[in-house]
Amino acid sequence: MGQLSIGIGGVVLLLALLSTGTPIGVALGVVGFGGLVLLLGLEPALIKSGVVLFETLSRYELGVLPLFLLMAHLCFAANASRDFFDAAARVIGHRRGGLALASVAACAGFGAISGSSLATTATIGLVALPEMRQRGYSSALATGAVAAGGTLGQMIPPSGALIIFGIIAEQSIGKLFVAAIVPAITQVLLYCLAILIICHLRPSIAPPTPRVGWRERRIALLRVTDLALLILLVIGGIALGWFTPPEAASVGVVGALALCLWRRRLTWQSLRHALAETLRTSGMVYLVVIGAIIFSVFVSVTGLAVQVTGLFATVGGGPLAKLLLMALVLLLLGSVLDGLALMLLTTPILLPVIQTMGLSPIWFGIFLVRAMEIGFVHPPIGLNLYVIQQIAPDVSIGRIFKGVLPFLAADFLHLLLLILLPAMALALPKLLAT
Amino acid sequence: MSAFETRTAEAAAADSGARGPLFYVGATALLLAMAVDALAVLGRHVGLPLLGSLELVQAAIVVASSTAIVFATLANRHAAARFLLDRSTPRVRLWLQQFARVLTLLFFLILASGQTWIAHDLWDGHEDSELLHIPFAPLRLVSILAVLMAAAITLRRLLRRSKA
Repeated sequence: MGQLSIGIGGVVLLLALLSTGTPIGVALGVVGFGGLVLLLGLEPALIKSGVVLFETLSRYELGVLPLFLLMAHLCFAANASRDFFDAAARVIGHRRGGLALASVAACAGFGAISGSSLATTATIGLVALPEMRQRGYSSALATGAVAAGGTLGQMIPPSGALIIFGIIAEQSIGKLFVAAIVPAITQVLLYCLAILIICHLRPSIAPPTPRVGWRERRIALLRVTDLALLILLVIGGIALGWFTPPEAASVGVVGALALCLWRRRLTWQSLRHALAETLRTSGMVYLVVIGAIIFSVFVSVTGLAVQVTGLFATVGGGPLAKLLLMALVLLLLGSVLDGLALMLLTTPILLPVIQTMGLSPIWFGIFLVRAMEIGFVHPPIGLNLYVIQQIAPDVSIGRIFKGVLPFLAADFLHLLLLILLPAMALALPKLLAT
Repeated sequence: MSAFETRTAEAAAADSGARGPLFYVGATALLLAMAVDALAVLGRHVGLPLLGSLELVQAAIVVASSTAIVFATLANRHAAARFLLDRSTPRVRLWLQQFARVLTLLFFLILASGQTWIAHDLWDGHEDSELLHIPFAPLRLVSILAVLMAAAITLRRLLRRSKA
């Protein structure tokens, strides 16, 4: 059996294992290890796996992930999600569709702390959904806005997905974070535009709510000032080169601890819960990264990436056609694969294609995460839809998906813009580097 | 045991884990990494660089991440695509879960064997870090111990389900 056949067989086996519910890290690792045994022999495969284990666990850059997670859990304990939504709702909630806009804004705010799509959806959903439904918003719009808005957690720095991409693709996490800022802002704007258009076409689905006075607005805004300062410190510090991303994570945790103390929400119980949750989630991510690195070694040995690069070279129509094809492949795979699995499977195969085309790996990271996000809001996987359904069990998945459709249209437009205007992702890192 | 009872039992085990020594080791290592890194940033900006801070953080991260893998295994938190699993009949689901556990056990044992091999080969080399001379051997042992503990947890879960 040739190397290429083993590579293709490995990918097929991986897809099969993933579909049976095998943990993603385990599936990647076992297939990668098995492939390396076939290609190189048992001893090199075992040694490589051992090397990957220790190198991953001792990797300074990956230490950023548990620390950012800890920061998010501490901010959650400080009631950040409620405060973000309250502030946005008081400022724009009285407008038609204002609470849906506030949900998206709150998702963006909380996403800047959590780095996770599911966590953002769940936490903002818990505070925003009851409020919107109580105010007579259509269940489709309410659930759709939170499900789509939740995906911002994946894009807005510090994003867990970008950290993992940076590790797998060996790219600067700091540059990836800075590159994500403009795409994240434009994504928020497109979601807001989608809400405004829907509300303009069907005003009855999002009735205006009573306007609150400026004093109340000021109080609500003041309540999130400390959170905003923390976010600014962390993201600004990375962008301005005050500290590296791993250092920013530590500074962020210190800031979050200070914030909890300031808000009198730091108890032994809340700290223990935050630490335990951080350890659990980090352990899951570490296993996935270990498996993914073993799998990517296997893919590079098979020469599969070279073959795929050759295949893409035969596609006519220039780079645009190739990127559109790649986006289509990612979206199709994203409909049957979990977002993380999609990234880990496709990065070692598609990154060389991107590099051969002379495109930036940093841009590819943003593009990939954007494609991943779309998978979070469309069936059959659509994890955000299921998170929302757990919060609002009386709303069917079909109805939630109906509510997500306008946002999906905004997502496709955003992905297209990202392809047509790579500067959306690359201009800011370039500007700050000079 | 129903799926709900199993999940409740696993969640209870995970919560009790948050009070055990494993939790304190991982949490301390995580907070140590944070403190050292934050002090290093502060030191650098006030002109008092903390020499070897990166090595200290790395050592703390090995302990925290190793503990985290055991913690995630204990809480059954490893990410998996569940859409097919959740749509299967109870019998097929049980079979798939057991199959996943066998693979998980195998993977942890592969990692433990590979790292043991390397640790054994490098044992006499007395590798250590450049500035603070932190020995790597104990850190390698921590990583091996962690994956072996994760393997033991998986094996126990596998055998319990087989008996059930």
